[in-house]
Amino acid sequence: MPFISQIERQTDYRSFPSSVPIVIDNGGSYFRIGWAGESDPRVIFRNIVQRPRHKSTGETVSVVGDHDTTLLKYFDCTRSGPRSAFDNNVVYQFEIMEYVDHPVLITECPCNPVSSRCRMAELLFESYGVPSVAFGVDAAFSYTYNQRLGVCDKEGLAVCSGFNTSHVIPFVEGEPVFEACCRSNVGGYHVTDYMKQLLSLKYPQHMAKLTWEKVEDLKMEHGYIAQDYASEVKLFQNETKEAEEKTRCWQLPFTPPPVEEQPSEEEIARKAAIKERQGQRLREMAEAKRASRINELENELRGLDFLLRQLENVNEDDVPAFLLSTGYLSKQEIESSVAKVNQSLRKTKREQVELEEKAEAATAEKFPLVDIPDNMLTPDQLKEKKKQIFLKTTAEGRQRARQKRAEEELQREKQNQLEEEKRLENPEMYLEKLRTKYKELSEKVEQKKLLKTNGNNTNGNSTSGGVGRGERMNAAKKERMRLLTTAAFDRGKDSRQVKDIDPTFTPKPDSGLCQPADVPRARPLTKEDFQIIMGVERFRCPEILFSPNIVGIDQSGLDEMVGISMRRFSPKGQGLEEKLTSSILLTGGSSQFPGLSERLEAGVRMIRPCGTPIRVIRANDPIFDAWRGGSSYAASLHFPEQTFTKMDYEEKGEDWLRRYKFRYTL
Amino acid sequence: MYEKYPKGQSRGRHWKHLKQILQAENYQNYPPDEPNYMNIEAPPSMHPPKRICDITGYEAQYYDPRTKLRYANAEVFKLVRSLPDDYVQRYLALRNAAVVLK
Repeated sequence: MPFISQIERQTDYRSFPSSVPIVIDNGGSYFRIGWAGESDPRVIFRNIVQRPRHKSTGETVSVVGDHDTTLLKYFDCTRSGPRSAFDNNVVYQFEIMEYVDHPVLITECPCNPVSSRCRMAELLFESYGVPSVAFGVDAAFSYTYNQRLGVCDKEGLAVCSGFNTSHVIPFVEGEPVFEACCRSNVGGYHVTDYMKQLLSLKYPQHMAKLTWEKVEDLKMEHGYIAQDYASEVKLFQNETKEAEEKTRCWQLPFTPPPVEEQPSEEEIARKAAIKERQGQRLREMAEAKRASRINELENELRGLDFLLRQLENVNEDDVPAFLLSTGYLSKQEIESSVAKVNQSLRKTKREQVELEEKAEAATAEKFPLVDIPDNMLTPDQLKEKKKQIFLKTTAEGRQRARQKRAEEELQREKQNQLEEEKRLENPEMYLEKLRTKYKELSEKVEQKKLLKTNGNNTNGNSTSGGVGRGERMNAAKKERMRLLTTAAFDRGKDSRQVKDIDPTFTPKPDSGLCQPADVPRARPLTKEDFQIIMGVERFRCPEILFSPNIVGIDQSGLDEMVGISMRRFSPKGQGLEEKLTSSILLTGGSSQFPGLSERLEAGVRMIRPCGTPIRVIRANDPIFDAWRGGSSYAASLHFPEQTFTKMDYEEKGEDWLRRYKFRYTL
Repeated sequence: MYEKYPKGQSRGRHWKHLKQILQAENYQNYPPDEPNYMNIEAPPSMHPPKRICDITGYEAQYYDPRTKLRYANAEVFKLVRSLPDDYVQRYLALRNAAVVLK
């Protein structure tokens, strides 16, 4: 059952005479305020304050408690989160808390530091003009209230586990004995925080969903105290059926991705048809384009043919004039362009163009000028010769490269054959050899990585050298690049080779790179990926009440605290101690965990001598009993005797306030 | 806005934290048998500390010297070793054992 804030504007303020005290339970998590004598507080809200800035006007506003989120959208909450006035269980920010003409009874923590008490009194007197104030301890009010209800005896122990702290306070004759009380700084806050951290570490992808409020709800709803942590956890470790029943699962809102993996037959057929049609259209377009191109080329060819034929008919003398009109320089040029057009025609007609071979065959004819000495040539021819020489050398180079490639191919083939032979000869040994090689290589890579990280560290430590920042970066970058390339090269080469031969081989995963808890991206997300499963967490988090060392708080747990409180208790009458343990009252918000009273009883039984009567009782209402106790107390006629006024405060001063002691029994 | 907080004056009021309050109280000047905020605090536990696996919450028999995490079995150990460093630190911070660089 989560706490519910109840904030409603109260309209009957004027109907109460000014003698009616106001009772405030100023708790770490919730603030409860109401009139003395009533059974329930009037207003309850989370004891936090937020000072957001109004988005348009820029004014800061104090928002007390948790409000409607719809209201908060007008404010910019990014600058200031919610704050509590509490440091541990002591109020330290008084600004947060602000004319009230009623006596006030307000709760405080046991042994509240005087300065804190002073400030609270100052605040109540000066800013609110309160006529008189009384301070009381919430746990004591809860105890006296339950005592009146007959739940516990006059002598007893109050175990109060609150939001920030837990207390054990012994009671004698209905009065708390603070000399023997004991406090540990573990409370509901720590439980919730621990749970929040654990869950967000377990499900990093749902971190945003795990808000403080939600986790608190989870804690209230599912948290319980194990009777014996070790045996309870064994259940989960052995994956028993009992554990399965105890596991809770929180399904986050999840909408399956639009179904696309199972399209119907028709759908597939339809899609294929569409694809086919599109392909067809493309092919047709390409075909048309090709046809038009062929047509064009053929036309050109015909034109050139016609030109050649015409050229034959023309007289020798008229040839230059004719050529001039056509735009060509010589017959050879026309012929070469005919060849060119022919070639492209063949290409477009997709005929095998054995161009290279032909070119090779024609090398000799193509470079006719190369072998003729220079002195026999005209300047033009000389130019031509140079060109031809260049072309020839490049062609030769190309041929050489081709030859080399062929040779390499041959070599590789040979090597492969050799390997294959070796493999067939003794497959086991071969495999083993490959494996060792792989291991060596991977070790080398690993070492390089290690070296790199270490090297970086030393780099970082000795930056004071003359090397500039940019250069250092460059060196590091270079090193990284080199490592990456070698690693990639080694890995690729090896795994490919080995996989052919050894099907059981799996390349070593790179450690430290994969995140196990992350949702694998390869498969589509399922409902299970949006579940928050709480098994061990259900009792692991509340367990910190009994062993605070789990969260690194070096203090004793609740059961030991009872023992310590008993030890600190000075009037050692045998009867009294037994009386104390036979009425242990559990109160405070964190005492609501199921199993707490049984566990506490078992714990106390271990500490106390054999045969001691032990009775652990849960308070009637662990949350509101403190306020109700205060309310009924303040309603009694003797209450004004316990209050002090502003005059008292100013006359008697701080030291008096330090010794101010409240009597709970009237 | 600027008139409200003139230059050189701190914004708002500074409140002492609990530690400062307690230091200012000077509890050492008072008789030790008088209860105060400091001396009602619970002492360290006398029970042997519970060692639980940082990840699963099972009873931890082993301790990884590299990450300083406690773990329950080989399966968890694999996970421990594959955890990125910031996760390791967050797990350690849960029991107040993280390395804090100041």
